[in-house]
Amino acid sequence: MKVVIIGASFAGIAAALEVRKHHTDANIVLLEKQATLAYIPNGLHLYWGNQIDDLNAARFITEEQLRQHTIEYYLGATVQNINTDQKIIAYDYLEQEELVAYDKLIIAAGSRQLSEKIDGSAQDSVLKYKRYGEAQAALSKVKESQHVTIIGGGQVGVEAADLLTKQQKKITLIESMDYVLFKYLDEDMIQPLEQKMIENGIDLRLGQTVSSIDMESNHNLTVRLGDDSVISDAVIMSVNVRPNLPFLDTRIKRHTDQTIAVDRYLRTSVEDVFAVGDCIQLSGPDEDMVYIPLINNAVRTGIVAAANLIEPVLEFKGSLRTIGTSIFGYYIASTGMTEAESLFTNHTIETHRQKVPLTSLPHSDTVILKWVYDATTHVLLGAQMISKANMLEKINTLALAIQTKQTLEDLQQTDYFFHPSYSQMMTTTNLVSWMGERVDKDES
Amino acid sequence: MKVEHFLEKNEVREITIFNQLVLNHGVLSYKDMLDHLAVSKASLDNDLESIAARMSDFDKQVYIQYDGQNIELIMGDHISLQHIYRLYLDQSIKIKIINYLFKHQKFSITQLTLKLAISESSLFRKIRDLNSHLKEFGIKIRNGQLHGEELQIRYFYFHFYSYIEDKTTLFTVHADSQMIQTMQSLENFLKVTILPENRERLSTWLFISKSRITIKNQKHKYLREKMKPYVKDPLYHKIQVMILRYFSRYSIEVDEGEAMLHFVFLLAFPILTEDDFHEYTLIRDRHAPVAALDMYIAETIINHFKFRKLPYMLEREIYYHLTHIHTQLYFFQGDIERFEYRYILAKEKQIVGDNLVAFAREIIGTSIKRFRIEAGDNNSLFKMGVFKYINLLLLLSFKMAKVLQIGIDLKMDELYKETLSELLILKMSPIQGIHIERYEPNKEYDLILTNDKTSDLSGYEGARVYVLSEVLSSFDLANIQRIIQELNT
Repeated sequence: MKVVIIGASFAGIAAALEVRKHHTDANIVLLEKQATLAYIPNGLHLYWGNQIDDLNAARFITEEQLRQHTIEYYLGATVQNINTDQKIIAYDYLEQEELVAYDKLIIAAGSRQLSEKIDGSAQDSVLKYKRYGEAQAALSKVKESQHVTIIGGGQVGVEAADLLTKQQKKITLIESMDYVLFKYLDEDMIQPLEQKMIENGIDLRLGQTVSSIDMESNHNLTVRLGDDSVISDAVIMSVNVRPNLPFLDTRIKRHTDQTIAVDRYLRTSVEDVFAVGDCIQLSGPDEDMVYIPLINNAVRTGIVAAANLIEPVLEFKGSLRTIGTSIFGYYIASTGMTEAESLFTNHTIETHRQKVPLTSLPHSDTVILKWVYDATTHVLLGAQMISKANMLEKINTLALAIQTKQTLEDLQQTDYFFHPSYSQMMTTTNLVSWMGERVDKDES
Repeated sequence: MKVEHFLEKNEVREITIFNQLVLNHGVLSYKDMLDHLAVSKASLDNDLESIAARMSDFDKQVYIQYDGQNIELIMGDHISLQHIYRLYLDQSIKIKIINYLFKHQKFSITQLTLKLAISESSLFRKIRDLNSHLKEFGIKIRNGQLHGEELQIRYFYFHFYSYIEDKTTLFTVHADSQMIQTMQSLENFLKVTILPENRERLSTWLFISKSRITIKNQKHKYLREKMKPYVKDPLYHKIQVMILRYFSRYSIEVDEGEAMLHFVFLLAFPILTEDDFHEYTLIRDRHAPVAALDMYIAETIINHFKFRKLPYMLEREIYYHLTHIHTQLYFFQGDIERFEYRYILAKEKQIVGDNLVAFAREIIGTSIKRFRIEAGDNNSLFKMGVFKYINLLLLLSFKMAKVLQIGIDLKMDELYKETLSELLILKMSPIQGIHIERYEPNKEYDLILTNDKTSDLSGYEGARVYVLSEVLSSFDLANIQRIIQELNT
């Protein structure tokens, strides 16, 4: 069996390794557009955060490891088209057009950061650094810049703002919504972070949309927002990513948002063709189909598609949009549904926001937790956390609770260790009215 | 633009034949029909033949009979003119072109000639013709695509799918669970209720928006300009947040232009309930163009009718309708004049009287002037605007009209007196807003009808008195109607 995988980022690599696990004799071919392998998207942040000495170290797998698994790979291979009738893929490699036939095809072509609404955003001087080559260019440009404008206040944008502030850069951050990280946190949870950002000198432009970016004669860039504008030395695009699939066969059905339509087994509308990672919509926190381009989803969908190559055996369980990060001195984590997002669902929810100590020691660090749960059944639907201490791992406990449909009462019965140095009377991931201090006034 | 612009000349004539017959009790002489259509005999004969062929679809439920002298329409109880319009529209090539454009966003001439089975030259002619009418919407078909401001394109499609194309083509969408969910989300976000009668309108709009959302290079220049006074509007802000959040859930990039489109739609058509709209009027900027004009026109109307003040709920209702009319005038260009409205418009003077029509025209003139929009003579948006104002004025006069108490005090022999009084009551019973009875002393009346020319009229305690010249004469009746109208205003 010949399995061709388009794209060798997290989803493609996970799929390849999993296919090898299930099919020891399969012929696995990876076609990757980039010239280098397995660069961690936004690995530049690791470099700026001094966690790696060399950008090149931001890799999640080596070529050697692929060879050990006898996975054939072609770097710098750009797919031109797919013929699903004849099961043939045409791609450019080393300036030659090549053809490869497949028995099974997995499309893991990922996504890119590009705006079609912002004029001038495609020019090279507007930095995007999801990929290695782009990151190298961005690294040197940012180094020589004093004032950097970041467009998009999602996780990437806010992390970049934090890291570059530490390098004494002047930062303007533009977000079209009223507050940053709006996909993951409710507005009532974000206040401490935004306050800290302002204290750190970030020029925060909220509720504003960029219409164009113009290069000036002195190589400065003017970012236009409504009647206002910002002039800076560099501009970073950290807007939402979108799939880019010009090579798709029209037989492969797509959604309105141009993602590839797949079923629960990640099969496309064409037999023997699967799609994974940032190319597809997933069932989200409310089990409705949404676009959640996160690495954890990429890896998990890669694994599921590989398991279903011969016959549908493993359903994809969906995504809770679980994230965790450290920005401006705060650890921030979120999983499942937010209160704001609940308006898109039929759930009647209640929320509870409280501040609880993390240990039983005096002067313990605290965490602000927000619970979103079904008003009738008390099934947990979402959770958000913000703290100065590293409590990120706790979000995974809550993600598991949501995925397994635990109620608040179930959670109180969960068996966790007690140690006064590391926990308090009731573990943090419990909503207990008599623990901690309630910080919201009334339940909505 | 008119509905018949989607049809060919002979088809419009055939529809006119039906209309004439309906307006003339179902029968018209061949000669009168010739005169009305101003065509040759051969032409009318052709039309009648063509009608006969087309009506075979209705299986004898509708047919036109011609006995050499009269043309007669025979129509089953369950068939209306609307069904006949539908039959003609369903066969229209121009409608098929617009449908194709909507579904595929783009066409090549070869594709479309094959699909519609017509020649290239015929296709070009139809596109040219369509473009001449789309002009008033500020949009045109060029290189196989619809070009123009996105607001105007969606607005045109909205009219098209609401009034021209058969609604059932979109019915699958109305049942679409995603659409139901979207509507629910909209209610949640805006904290409003969408009533069942408004849902269909909204789902048509949302469906159009959904199919347009991924179109690249949408134009919002005019809209952005017009939206400048609304960027801080609280409803707009809510919609903006909702739109950004909604599309952040998909791989679709939107900017505030998308939110602006929905804001305009929500205010231009009856989507919100009157209660929800009223809540909005309490927080909207009263100096923004639409609100300011609403207030100005409402005051103009109140002064015209010499009302001291409108009852609270009626005032709310008037503002609700005025905002729809004015939002359309302020943001949109073009409209589609539907058959049914035009026949009412044609009869408007008979129905509502010259004064009201003249006043409605005066108001639209004021609105156009205040919005500084160019008013072409043949502008359907303004024509429909006049029609809407007329309806609003009628609504107001119906609701404000008090029930006038009328007493009949005939001086004659008891037998005649009773009979004539009853006959007069019967004759006047179709007049709205009056209560008429035989005069009783000690009761209060607004108007007294009497035939007594000699007695002292001051005995009626301030009631207006009309002395009948000849009981039951049309002269008297016309005068009485005039007096009733005067008393009502």
